[in-house]
Amino acid sequence: MNWRTPARVVLIPVVSILLVFLVWDLIIRIFNVEPFVAPSPGEALGALRDNWSTLWPLAIETIRETTYGFVLGAVLGFVLAVAMAQTRIVQGLVYPVLISSQAVPIIAIAAPLVILLGFGIWPKIVIVAWIVFFPVAVSVLDGLANVDEDLLKLAHVMGGTRSRVFLKIRLPATVSPLYSGLKIGATYAVTGAIIGELVASTGDSLAGFQRNANSSLDTPAVWGTTILMTAIGIGWFLLVMTFERLTTPWRTRNTVRRLPFSRRTD
Amino acid sequence: MTAKLAVNECTKTFGATVALAPTTLAIEPGEFVSLVGPSGCGKSTLFNVVSGLLRPDNGRVEIDGVDVTGHSGHVGYMLQKDLLIPWRSVVDNITLGAALTRGVTKADRSQAVDFARRYGLGDFLDHYPHALSGGMRQRVALMRTLATNHDLLLLDEPFGALDSQTRLEMQQWLLEVWSETQRTVLFVTHDVDESIFLSDRILVMSPRPGRIVSELVVNLPRPRTLQQMTEPDFIAVKRQILDLLHGTVTV
Repeated sequence: MNWRTPARVVLIPVVSILLVFLVWDLIIRIFNVEPFVAPSPGEALGALRDNWSTLWPLAIETIRETTYGFVLGAVLGFVLAVAMAQTRIVQGLVYPVLISSQAVPIIAIAAPLVILLGFGIWPKIVIVAWIVFFPVAVSVLDGLANVDEDLLKLAHVMGGTRSRVFLKIRLPATVSPLYSGLKIGATYAVTGAIIGELVASTGDSLAGFQRNANSSLDTPAVWGTTILMTAIGIGWFLLVMTFERLTTPWRTRNTVRRLPFSRRTD
Repeated sequence: MTAKLAVNECTKTFGATVALAPTTLAIEPGEFVSLVGPSGCGKSTLFNVVSGLLRPDNGRVEIDGVDVTGHSGHVGYMLQKDLLIPWRSVVDNITLGAALTRGVTKADRSQAVDFARRYGLGDFLDHYPHALSGGMRQRVALMRTLATNHDLLLLDEPFGALDSQTRLEMQQWLLEVWSETQRTVLFVTHDVDESIFLSDRILVMSPRPGRIVSELVVNLPRPRTLQQMTEPDFIAVKRQILDLLHGTVTV
């Protein structure tokens, strides 16, 4: 059977996640850990189920924060990288700022952002975008810089115009690296949103719910919420991966996909 | 009749290195001319001067009598690396020249399909390059070169990376394409057999400074066959070239 068949693509990750739960469960059983210290996966998932009606609307809110922040960060990172690739001066000016922005401890900047932007959704969006734009910018910049010199020479000999060479060669060359950046960003995006919620929120957020559960020693609910947060992150990753497969067919297919309405070659 | 390509007293130096001593050459329309010589003999420099990638320090480059010194966009150009674009299908790779200059028209696409069908790529129109063999990829690269519709093709060791079996096939295939499409070819190689098998004329170059030291006319009848490669006439030309190359290398 082919490695890339859908059955394996889905089956193997599911099995590996189940294994993690199994090991977790075994450790709790073997060391006989009390649920208020650390719950078993079953207890955590049970707490998640019991609080579902409260948690689901909060999860929707977190998903909204990550969506807006992710899109904003991705667009910002992409535009920044393209602008930086145009001239050395821009690159020289922007790159140190880019690096510095990531050296800022995000948890330290969260509180000032709340003072600046209020308790609403905006500080969370900004934090998510802050985290996401960096891997996107760096990988797109790499993609633009690593276009084969000989290919650019060939384009020049063919009499290619600057704008067309950019649109037909340089820009499409960023697609694969862009997805690498997006996948890294996707897994971090939820972290950003939760930090924002933790600092900015009154009670009605996933982070707030978790903090309350923690103070009341409802440890299974704390872990259950963590599982939910993790699932949102994984969901993001899967979404990006699906997009990647759909938009870069040359990496997985031998021939151009022919849709019924697409133009034919002959 | 004006020459298809005329290079007049072109020179090029990089710092203290004379990459190309004053060089003059002319190629007639429809001619197949090869440049042979050891590495560092200025083949690539001469090539880049003709293609317009490099502006010579002195001298002129004319195509069809028009001065194109230092200007690109007048020749078809192909390298050892196929440089196919991974996200474009075979047909879309063939029409790359149009895509980079003015946008691909329906006529460009049908010409590309036509070339591909005629020269053995008919079953691969919609394939992505990664799904093709090395030989097939070079075929696509040559079709892309033809599709720019320039009469003069500069081919820089296009088969250098292929195994010898495939290379022989590709050489015969190139001669077929060349004779049918009536193009003019300037071909760089360091494979002496290849240069004799393909060419009407061979220019032998030598390094330090890079220059053309000799010119040989290959008077073997066309169409060329593999049998010719072991006949006395062929061997005689080969000996001449090897003498020239050997003489220049040991200076």
